[in-house]
Amino acid sequence: MNKLILGRYFPGESYLHRLDPRLKLVAALYFIGLLFFVENGQGYIWLFLFTFLLMRLSGVSYSVYLKGVKPLIWLILFAVMLRVLFTGGGTIYFSLGPIMISRFGLLSGFYTFSRFIMIILISTVVTLTTKSIDLTDAIHALFKPLRLLRIPVDDFALMLSISLRFVPNLLDETQKVMDAQRARGVVFGEGNLIEQMKKLVPIVLPLFVSSLKRAEEMADVMEVKGYRSGEKRSSFRQLKWHLRDVAAIVCLIVLTLGVTFFNTFDFVLLFNI
Amino acid sequence: MQSKRTLFLIEIAIFTALALALDLLPFLSFKVWAQGGSISFAMIPIFIVAFRWGLKGGLLAGFLYGMLQIATGTAWIAHPVQGALDYPVAFTVLGLAGLFAPAVQSALKNDNTKRFIGMVTLGVLVGVLLRFVAHYLAGVVFFESLIDGMNIWMYSLVYNGSYLLPSFFINVLAVSFLFNKRPSLVATTA
Repeated sequence: MNKLILGRYFPGESYLHRLDPRLKLVAALYFIGLLFFVENGQGYIWLFLFTFLLMRLSGVSYSVYLKGVKPLIWLILFAVMLRVLFTGGGTIYFSLGPIMISRFGLLSGFYTFSRFIMIILISTVVTLTTKSIDLTDAIHALFKPLRLLRIPVDDFALMLSISLRFVPNLLDETQKVMDAQRARGVVFGEGNLIEQMKKLVPIVLPLFVSSLKRAEEMADVMEVKGYRSGEKRSSFRQLKWHLRDVAAIVCLIVLTLGVTFFNTFDFVLLFNI
Repeated sequence: MQSKRTLFLIEIAIFTALALALDLLPFLSFKVWAQGGSISFAMIPIFIVAFRWGLKGGLLAGFLYGMLQIATGTAWIAHPVQGALDYPVAFTVLGLAGLFAPAVQSALKNDNTKRFIGMVTLGVLVGVLLRFVAHYLAGVVFFESLIDGMNIWMYSLVYNGSYLLPSFFINVLAVSFLFNKRPSLVATTA
């Protein structure tokens, strides 16, 4: 259960773990954007190499990454199949009505597959090496400019960290209420949808009522301790920029140059449309 | 003296956490598709906030829930536009149910059960319908990036409809029932 809640964070001391969460977030978005600019197979291989390097660096075993891909594999294969079967062009190896297997089809299937897998792997790298609370800080930092538009970014960040903090508690509480119902003879996960619904209402109701009470108490305590919305606050966790973050940016630049290079010069003609 | 604003912020934060908790627990959510799209109670806390605090609260709770899914890594993003539509946008629009908050509250005060249930249904319908539109467009963007010329509109319709339609009924039932049993859930104390 706890694995789910704390994001999917894997404790560790690797280079990636220590990188600034702001940088990791932006870099992951950048990488996903970059995937859409790759024009040929060698570009994808170049990015694959980079992805595997990151996976190695994270110090998390490959099986964890595979688990991340697993629930999505059917969707991916479905998309790849569509690509392969309905894309024409190049040498045609097999055809039957509108369905055909062609050179272009196989290649674009490979592109689709690579893009999907790398998006999943890269976002898994970020969530495995970054605590949820650090990601929240990163989101907060990135949205800070919106303050100028009078959007209460700080209140929002506060709410996000309170939510994160309370998810485990609420899960525990739900489990307790469910156990109490089980002790009375309720069996969960049985019967049709309507029957299951009926069993769930007595679980949800006490949760809502206790949440309301908890919110009220917490608001009281915060006010007593001097919290005022809209006032400048300091933070216990400070994000600092290090030399290693600069190194990561250099890596990203090299990566981008590589993609541009492979887009311009084709070496492995085998992989081109 | 407790200011309304602090309570407002905290209550929304905790209810958002509750939404995620309800979505994560086995038995409380039925996964229709492996890659997200579950029939669960997760939307109920958002609707409760929307009916308690009105439009502003509802929108804020929805947006927060979308971002929370990204921060905890439960979100599934394959394309920038799809990611934005599927999480922040899709859940924020749920809060539009808050448009009906005054009507729901007055109906409850006057013990007008029929009107009350009607208004809750309408609110939930508006929220779920708009969420559907957001997911639908996200689906189209997503499949467009993969498949050219296929019937993507239809595919996204079936995919998103398959879990949102049952979700709609479950949420109407649950929200009406909860409020009926415990009218204090709607009345804000501050």
